[in-house]
Order: sequence, then C-alpha cells, then structure tokens
Amino acid sequence: MRAQEGTARRYAKGLHMAATEAGAGEAAGRELAAFFDGLQVNRGALEILARPWIKPTDRRAAALALAEKSGCGKLVRDFVALVAQRGRLDHLEAIVAAYRDLIDADLGQARAQVRSAVALTDAEKAQLTRHLQAALGKQIILEESVDTNLLGGFVAQVGSLILDGSLDGQLARMHERLVRG
Amino acid sequence: MRRAIASACFLAGLLPAVASASGGGDGGLISLDKSLIIQVFNFLILLFLLTKLLYKPLLAKMDERTQAIQKSLDEAQAARALAQKERDDFAAKIQAANAEAQRIRAEALKDAADEQRRLVDAAKAEAARLVANARQEMDQDVRRARQELRQEVADLAIAVSERLIKKSLNDADHRRVVDDAIARMGQKN
Repeated sequence: MRAQEGTARRYAKGLHMAATEAGAGEAAGRELAAFFDGLQVNRGALEILARPWIKPTDRRAAALALAEKSGCGKLVRDFVALVAQRGRLDHLEAIVAAYRDLIDADLGQARAQVRSAVALTDAEKAQLTRHLQAALGKQIILEESVDTNLLGGFVAQVGSLILDGSLDGQLARMHERLVRG
Repeated sequence: MRRAIASACFLAGLLPAVASASGGGDGGLISLDKSLIIQVFNFLILLFLLTKLLYKPLLAKMDERTQAIQKSLDEAQAARALAQKERDDFAAKIQAANAEAQRIRAEALKDAADEQRRLVDAAKAEAARLVANARQEMDQDVRRARQELRQEVADLAIAVSERLIKKSLNDADHRRVVDDAIARMGQKN
C-alpha cells in the first residue's frame, strides 16, 4: 500500500510539473478526477484495462478513447494513456488524491476529512472550518461524511493531524486513564 | 702350650730324684750340704721353667681372656648404646609422627570447619535468593492481577457507558456534543 502511494505520488508529480508549466494545473486535476469518476461508473472498462494479458498498446488506445470521451485535454489524455500502458490504472485513485494534494499545496489550502455521528449543520461546518483555518493557517476545504459507528461528536483529519471531538475519543481516553490507574 | 707344660712336669719330677740320688741315703728331706745347693739350683730352674712355661703363658692367657671379656663388655656396651640410640631415634620418630598426625588432624578439622562454614553461607545465600525471587514473583503476580483487574473494570465501564450513551443520546445531545467539541477547539487556538 505504501509502495503504491509512493508510485502514485511520482506519477502525480510528473503530471503536476507538466500541467503547471502549461499553466493548467487545476484544470488537469479536474480532468483527471472526471476521468477517474468515469472509470468508476464504467467498472467493466476499468477491469478490462487492468487485465495483464491485454497488450500495452491496446490498453493505451482504450485509455485514450475513454479520456477523450470524458473530455480530457491532450496532457491528461497522454498521461492516462501512459498510466494504462504501464499497467498502473489500479494506482489511479491514489494518483488523483496525490495530484489533488499537490494542487491544494499550490493554492495554500488543505482538505479536512470530517467524520461525524450525525450530519453537521452549516453553522457547525463554518465554525469548524474557521477553527481549522486558524489552527493551520491554511484555507480549509471540509469533506464531511457521516460515520454511524461514532457514538457522538466528530473526528477531523487534515493530513497527519487528527482532531478528535468525538465521544468515542473521550471514552478511549477515559479507558486509558482507568487502565493506567 | 701343652708340650711346654708337659716338659715342666717332667723336669719337676726328675729334679727331686736327682737330688735324692745325690744326697745319699740318710733319709732327710733337706740336707744341709752340697745337695742343698743343687736343690736350690733345681728349684730355681724349676721356678724359672714354671715361670717361663706356665706362669707367663697363664698370665698372658688370662690377660687375653680379660681383654676378650673387656672387648665383649665394650661391644655389649656399644651395642647397648646403639640400641639406646635407636630406641631414642625411634621414640623421636614416633613423637614426630604423633606431631605430624596431630597437625594433619588439626588441619583436617580446620578444613572441615571452613567447608561447613562455606556450605552454610552458600545455603543461606541460596535461601535468600529463593526468598527474593519468590517475593519478586509474588509482586509481579500482584501487579499483573491489579493491571488485569483495572483492564477489566475499564472495559466494563466503557462498554456500559457506550451502551448508555447509544440508548440515551438524542439529536439535541448530538448537537451539544459537536458544539462543545468545536468550542474546545476554539479555546485551544
């Protein structure tokens, strides 16, 4: 998994350098995400492209066709064609995430994954975003999801930083204190 | 020697006969005449012969015997002295052997006492080590039991708390939990 992330990061950096030079960093990110979403919808095509016995040239051609259909520019088309040719389409999700991190870093922003027991209200989201921005000094993009396994509260993660405002966390800390005596 | 004695006896018997023949026939034992001179001469010859042939050898023989006896006595004395010396040496050897035996016995007793002391010390040290180990194991068991008890109590308390929270938490409580967490985050900033 860690090796896959490393490989994905190298691919993402390559695309990022080429796209930045071309002045289309954000656009390339959007096109890449659209291509990935298209593949997610068309799982059959992804499975066929991932088969090892399909010739690299055939994989490249199929990926080019799919990218064109998704409305990708030449840079992203060539990139996904290269990824498909080298049999790395299974890394595509990690490549998209790594590319998005690079673009976020360029824009001075960070994404906060927030898991909460119940959906947060707009006011709560705004307040949470404000606090995170104040803590990290970056523009924060909140990506919220409801986790029914949580008892209450929320857990926000920005990169390696985790802010635990859940009842589960409080209970875990209480458990730790009880065990330590 | 025997021949000399026999010659003396023969002469002693012959001389009185000569004296008697020369003295005539008056029947007295000693006549104061010329025969007396012959008798005296005979006597002197006899005395000389007796002295020469009998008395001196007898004295020499007696001296020889005396010397032999003295030599035997000296030898006996020397043997006695030698025996006494050997007895003294033997006694000294026995005394030395006794002293050596005493020394060995004392040394053996000292070694035995040292060994006994060493064994007692080793046994005491081993006993102390066993006691310390037992105490340490007991302490570890107590600590482990306490830790397990704490773990079980904590697990139970958290499980009960989770169940109670799941049952009792309504939407307003969820909102309050979220707001509290956001407020705490703001206080930290």
